[in-house]
Amino acid sequence: MAAMAHSTQAAHGHMQDYEYHVQAIEADLEYWRTKRLEPRLIQLHRRGVLTFYDLIRAAGHGPAAPAAAGEATHDTERRIRALEDALDEYIRGIALASIDSPDQPSVIEDTRKERGDYDDFFRIAKPSHGGTLEERIARLEHDIREYQRLLDVLMRALLDKGVLTKADIERQRAFLAGRGAFNGARIVARAWVDPAFKQALLTRGREAVRELNIPPGRLGKLGVAENTATLHNVVVCTLCSCYPHDLLGDPPWWYRDDSYKERIVRDPRGTLADRFNLRLPDTVEVRVHDSTSDVRWMVLPRRPRGTDGWSEEELARLVTTDSLVGAAPALTPAALAQTECGVSR
Amino acid sequence: MPAPEATHRFRLGERVRVKEANPSGNPRTPAYVRGNTGIVTALHGSIDNPLDHRGVYPPLCSVAFPVREVFGGASRDMLSVDLHEDWLAPAGTLEE
Repeated sequence: MAAMAHSTQAAHGHMQDYEYHVQAIEADLEYWRTKRLEPRLIQLHRRGVLTFYDLIRAAGHGPAAPAAAGEATHDTERRIRALEDALDEYIRGIALASIDSPDQPSVIEDTRKERGDYDDFFRIAKPSHGGTLEERIARLEHDIREYQRLLDVLMRALLDKGVLTKADIERQRAFLAGRGAFNGARIVARAWVDPAFKQALLTRGREAVRELNIPPGRLGKLGVAENTATLHNVVVCTLCSCYPHDLLGDPPWWYRDDSYKERIVRDPRGTLADRFNLRLPDTVEVRVHDSTSDVRWMVLPRRPRGTDGWSEEELARLVTTDSLVGAAPALTPAALAQTECGVSR
Repeated sequence: MPAPEATHRFRLGERVRVKEANPSGNPRTPAYVRGNTGIVTALHGSIDNPLDHRGVYPPLCSVAFPVREVFGGASRDMLSVDLHEDWLAPAGTLEE
């Protein structure tokens, strides 16, 4: 798995390793089902906001199950891409279903307790993922369809019961569209060209990003760890998966993966080399930041060579999601040219 | 907003020991650093974070630990872990 230096942009290039992509979808899909959607359902049910009976009623009124994801083709790469798109759709839908009704506020701590972050008793079991690649793809196609159906029914029940209004959902959709890894890229690019902004970012975190017209979010404090010629930072949350996601969108999928959490703290340098193909010289110290929810860390990568005179917009294209957690440096101009070659965006 | 340093029991550069357990019940300290000694590298103050948890946790410090002291081996790399002060004691004091 030497080609794991993987970025949001590279994910749209040619697919090198089917196994890697399928494993990523399996891990992410089950994370979102067992940590986000189903605990949410149980939480609503426990509080009497929405009962299982409301769901059954809504299912009776709902539209037919959505069309099959990608089964019309035997092309493995296209089927995997269709699964990735369906997963994105599922994740976006969960974000919409996760807004609190103004009458029923909850705090993340409650959700964590109920989804089993602190106590195995509450943990929702995940299926095992054995079999051939073909069998695993077929199982994912089936599961995603079922999971999406439950989410559709939940959304309908929330609307039918008046827990949320269409206006609430539209507001949330607009809010979610305004965040994402691109915010991180813009923040980094500004820090590269503007020393005063960089200083404000390092000392005041979230407050500094307002000048980029980015909503700063409210999830604790933003910690910014700056890479230098002698220090490389990498971020993890071993307790759960804290990340400034209200500001930067989702971290890379493997950020939530237990094998990453366990290995990066025990052997930071070796893990970066083996897993991400990032080999750092002995003269560079590696520092792992383990988040504790109150400070959520991002890495400020170093500005690549050969970018003198680049505009902020051009520089932002060099910043990948992986570089924001320290699993990769920012792209070099040559790597950017390769990534964007033949990709219509 | 008062300077975060004002609310802290510990100072930058101070050596602190992570307690093995915390009677207040705040769970957010990774098991692997419990019982270890590290150096305070940043003071974050008490962070108001109502989306994450009820009430305000005690002041938060970043504490640096050499990987080799926590996990053994010959690594020269460092771990920086954010810890609330109710989990910390001055280095060299006995576990209460």
